[in-house]
Amino acid sequence: MDAFFVSVEELFDPSLKGKAVVVGGQRDERGVVAAASYEARKYGVHSAMPLRTAAKLCPHAIFVDGHRHRYLEYSEKVHGVLTTFSPLVEMASIDEAYLDMTGTERLHGPALSAAHRLHHKIKSETQLNCSIGMGSSRLVAKVASAKAKPHGILWVIPGQEARFLAPLDVRDIPGVGKVTEQSLLKLGIQRVGDLSRFDDEFLEEHFGKWGLALAGKSRGEDAGGWFVNEVGADIGAKSISHEHTYNQDTADVDQLESTLMRLSEMVGRRLREQGLHARTIQLKLRYKDFTTITRAHCLPAPTQLDTEIFEQIRSLFHKNWRKGAQVRLLGVHAASFENPNSQGNLLEDGRRKRWQQALSAADHLRDKFGESSVSLATGLGGTFRERTHENPVGLPGKKKPA
Amino acid sequence: MPVEAIASAVGTTTMEITVSKFELLRELTATQGVVERKTTIPILSNYLFEAAGDKLSLTATDLDLSLRTSCAVKVKKEGSCTIPARKLHDYVKLLPDADITIKLLENHWVSIRCGRSNTKMVGMAKSNFPSLPTFPTAGVMKIPAQVLRSMIAKTGFAIASEESRYTLNGALMVLKPESITMVATDGHRLSHIERAGTKFDGVSGEMKTLVPKKAMDELKSLLDSTDAEEIEFAKDESTLYFRIGNRLLTSRQLTGQFPNFEAVLPKDNTKSIAVHGDELGQAISRVAQFADERSRAVKMRLEKGELKLSASSTEMGESEDTIEIDYQGELLAIGFNAQYLLDFLKATGGGEIKLEFKDSQSAGQMRPAEGEEYKYRYIVMPMRI
Repeated sequence: MDAFFVSVEELFDPSLKGKAVVVGGQRDERGVVAAASYEARKYGVHSAMPLRTAAKLCPHAIFVDGHRHRYLEYSEKVHGVLTTFSPLVEMASIDEAYLDMTGTERLHGPALSAAHRLHHKIKSETQLNCSIGMGSSRLVAKVASAKAKPHGILWVIPGQEARFLAPLDVRDIPGVGKVTEQSLLKLGIQRVGDLSRFDDEFLEEHFGKWGLALAGKSRGEDAGGWFVNEVGADIGAKSISHEHTYNQDTADVDQLESTLMRLSEMVGRRLREQGLHARTIQLKLRYKDFTTITRAHCLPAPTQLDTEIFEQIRSLFHKNWRKGAQVRLLGVHAASFENPNSQGNLLEDGRRKRWQQALSAADHLRDKFGESSVSLATGLGGTFRERTHENPVGLPGKKKPA
Repeated sequence: MPVEAIASAVGTTTMEITVSKFELLRELTATQGVVERKTTIPILSNYLFEAAGDKLSLTATDLDLSLRTSCAVKVKKEGSCTIPARKLHDYVKLLPDADITIKLLENHWVSIRCGRSNTKMVGMAKSNFPSLPTFPTAGVMKIPAQVLRSMIAKTGFAIASEESRYTLNGALMVLKPESITMVATDGHRLSHIERAGTKFDGVSGEMKTLVPKKAMDELKSLLDSTDAEEIEFAKDESTLYFRIGNRLLTSRQLTGQFPNFEAVLPKDNTKSIAVHGDELGQAISRVAQFADERSRAVKMRLEKGELKLSASSTEMGESEDTIEIDYQGELLAIGFNAQYLLDFLKATGGGEIKLEFKDSQSAGQMRPAEGEEYKYRYIVMPMRI
């Protein structure tokens, strides 16, 4: 989708149309840009940039808070259109999807005309613009769709993948960021085509497994990373996390603990929502000077209870926090999903069962009256507005737990 | 130079003793368990040797647990030294059965001579060796060695090995003037043993002590190899002391609250059967070969006149064993970790046992059918099957 969050906001407030718009929060707030309109991008504003930097680059931009439910609603609509074109739809994020069109020629005709019809149908049913890339792999399709923006269609004819990619900047390959770009530059690699000068072994030696994936990607293959499974295959979540950046750095233990409690509750809620039990709990801690640490602990038995998550997070926090140091960001991360222990516990089952019931009641209240309607006491001081991010739970089309 | 400094200078520069290999090796073997293997503090891999009169005292410590023992030696020069413990043990084992002469050299090196074997080992300064608590003079209690040994054997295996719940990493010992009780649990099962009718000198009221797992293991092996009838037990705010013959084990106390175990002891487990321990153990071992490797779950089915044991896994297949029992009650199916059941059966050592259940979700209780001097019971939480 083209400037998805911004476009959705424009539907709700048409006066934003054609203006420099930044979604994600107010200009003087901490936090990052979730999306910027094409007008704002002209000034160098891009997503994941601090809001304050965006305000400096583009002082006349209109800053809008994100509305997660609106985006999910529209994402759902888009997903609905997509599923009428192919049964194999993979929502890669809230505004990005892959369609496997293999074998649909008799239904939709040649690929290009199918793409035009899809393009048109999305516009007519959602009033939103999108760009479509077509290729023999998800990687090529993704790169092509980026090149097709805004509101375009680009088809990379089979066999021409390497030629299409060769002149592109290595940064155009999904997964190559600032750091990899720097190390590639050191080897004299600037364009995707430069990669073909090196053999796979050399790249593997320099970058490990990721080097091999990179070599594959430069030829247009779905190598490494998220491109392992078939389109539409449900790979399930691997981790669930929430983080919070303070508007003002703090070293106040009560406030920090409240935030950790609140984040633990949010993570616990999502674990229960998806029917998952996590064995590994990880703390993320960023200080004022941006030094960031992550520390994880493995539980004896997997959990989905806020209180057990918090207990671990709290102890990780106190073991690792430099006492009195100003904290900028806190994050709680749950991973290693396993089936709940079938072995009963003499000492804790009773307590655990009561918590499970209490938290499930709290979940019902939240479903009905909103996320901040109920919280454990410690978490009350830690309520904050949720930020919008691109890969929320419950992406359209993702399997909901039974 | 002050007097203490001279004394310590003399103490660290001289020591010469002669000891029989047999005597020395026995004490080295007894203390190996305490020597820290993976320590970051080098001195803890060493023994402290102190020679005076006609005795050599050997000390090993990992800071939490210390063991001091002694053996008869000929002392030529009194003094002390430290020697790498593992290496010394490995080396002495290989020496012929003869007298060994140990002598402190310069720079903390130690010479070990036996017959025609001649070795110099690199020691460390004695002053690095941690100082150890000394046995209290008051409040010493006496416990029959065999009673303690048996209680440890019947509870020690149920201590938690995970370190997440600190207070479960030890057993609770409750001493009263006329009874001793020991309880251990890892949250999944609980082992409880009580012995009444023995008088405990020096105990007044109720004294509760948390004994760490490592101390329990060490105590057990010390009790296995002693002919002492009684051991001496004492404690102060931070340390537990066990004197077994000429050996003194000291352990840091576990602080904290042991869980309220009385609340989880089953009260209305009315479905009861009696089986022979060995027979049950063999049947469980057989079917457990086919249990899921991670959960080790076996299923028990109480039917009229029959106890059916079964296990299955998708990789291995399935297995069933049947034992005849005298049971006319309701049908009950309940799952357990096979290992937990076998641990208990091994500790009871055969004989008739009673299994008592309530339902498939509540804890089951196992105990020897004939309660001799000991009141022993074992409570296991079932698995969902």
